[in-house]
Amino acid sequence: MASMISVDGLHKAYGSTIAVDDVSFSVEEGEIFGVLGPNGAGKTTTVECIQGLRSVDRGTIRALGFDPTTEAGELRQRIGSQLQDSALPGRLRVAESIELFSAFARNPVDIDQLLSQWRLEEQRDQPFASLSGGQRQRLFIALAFVNSPELVFLDELTQGLDPQARRATWELIREIRYHGTTVVLVTHFMDEAEQLCDRLAVVDRGRLIALDTPQGLVDGLGLSSIVRFSTSESDLSWIERLDVVDSVTREGDSVEVRGSGGVLALVAAELVAHGIVPVDLRVDRPTLEDAFLALTGRAIRS
Amino acid sequence: MRGYLAMTRAEMRLFRREPFSVVFVLAFPLMMMLLLSAVFGNDQADANDVENGMLVWRGVTPTDYYTAGSVAVIVAALGLMTLPINLSGYREQGILRRLRASSVPASTLFSAQLTVAFATLLAGALIMGFVAWLGYDATLPQDVAGVAVALAVGTVAFGAIGLLLASVVGGSRAAQGIGLLLFFAMWLVSGTAPPRAVLPSGLRDVSDYVPLTHLVTAIQDPWFGFGWSWSDLIVLAGFAIVAGVPALWLFRWD
Repeated sequence: MASMISVDGLHKAYGSTIAVDDVSFSVEEGEIFGVLGPNGAGKTTTVECIQGLRSVDRGTIRALGFDPTTEAGELRQRIGSQLQDSALPGRLRVAESIELFSAFARNPVDIDQLLSQWRLEEQRDQPFASLSGGQRQRLFIALAFVNSPELVFLDELTQGLDPQARRATWELIREIRYHGTTVVLVTHFMDEAEQLCDRLAVVDRGRLIALDTPQGLVDGLGLSSIVRFSTSESDLSWIERLDVVDSVTREGDSVEVRGSGGVLALVAAELVAHGIVPVDLRVDRPTLEDAFLALTGRAIRS
Repeated sequence: MRGYLAMTRAEMRLFRREPFSVVFVLAFPLMMMLLLSAVFGNDQADANDVENGMLVWRGVTPTDYYTAGSVAVIVAALGLMTLPINLSGYREQGILRRLRASSVPASTLFSAQLTVAFATLLAGALIMGFVAWLGYDATLPQDVAGVAVALAVGTVAFGAIGLLLASVVGGSRAAQGIGLLLFFAMWLVSGTAPPRAVLPSGLRDVSDYVPLTHLVTAIQDPWFGFGWSWSDLIVLAGFAIVAGVPALWLFRWD
């Protein structure tokens, strides 16, 4: 099975600013592929190059077998796009805009079905200008699906949505993938990437710095888990002697044990063996955010 | 074709819902026709006034002169203001990005804009003729086909100029400023405000190079039954090509 997208050695600069620097990856059919990185990392430029919306300085791209630089027209009939920083005429109504865009689709979906799928029935006669941020976002996502695409690009999908709407949107994206559409998701939200994506390309300063499943990214870095509990027992040297434990620190009764692998189970077993049964024993596993920090040396929102 | 019809319908709706463009584009030329007719009257005796060796009112009454001439003003307002302001606003807001991502061809966008402009113009011309006929018993177009051809050629020429403005000017505010400036400059020297016969000769020479001057006579000639003004139509077609080709070349989606 050929890849839905293959990008090889993509390079793109704006003047002297290098936006995308030698990026290569491929996206397989049916997956939700995430492009994760801080703002200005080159995520949007990368996916806009794939959609044929930007020219490419170097490198080759194939999307659904088409070259986006020369066959953008054919390609765009088969893909859906939800772009950052786009808009509709303020006085155009919701149903009218879907009607307009479906006129350019070879295989348009049913307008009423699309409106109900994206919970826009009540807004169908509302002009774009009067929609809330979340409603606009839902309309743009609906427009991305108006041509029954095989592949959709969603750029900052849940920007401006409240937590409830975000979760509802994630659910719909999962459903869409279930029906066979491949999804490329650009995001700077860790939880979104972790919850939704099968694989993630981590991009920073124009470079691809990691490519794996969210769990694989976290596990591959061998980051430590932190086991926390409280005890009045003063001598804990027997914990430090465990192989999986890297360090033990304590402040009064609170103890923090850093370690890898099955550190929680082993520490717990030792505690019980020593007659200590703390009620507040818990573990903080490394998260995608920790992995990102380790990979880039900085937090995503900085 | 389906795309063109949908785009045209959407643009028609937007045009109807945008009060400013309707007011200015249709009301300003109508108001000027009424005011200038009120100033210069509708007396057949004025038809043979001569100034600087030219017939001031081209052999018709001032009202007839301004009725046909003001229809040209609608075309200029659409091409120099409505079109560039619309398109550069679309670009500024990211609407063009959205359209391009859904494979809307530039030609569809432009032809829909031109269709709406032409429909507006037809409505404006009908209103203009009707009001002048009702109020001043002005002459109705003698050669309807000739007037329609002049309007169509004029719409394409001014559409191309508007497109060029939209392509080279950055934002919608800049488009508004430059469009307004060009519009009033052309309006003043092309014979749609003071008749060309009363202009100083230097200014009259300048006005030979102004597209609106040619559109005015291209519309007036068949309107008054003087026949088709082929030379003006050819000049307008020339403007359409000279402005339109670089405009298409330079057009940017974002």
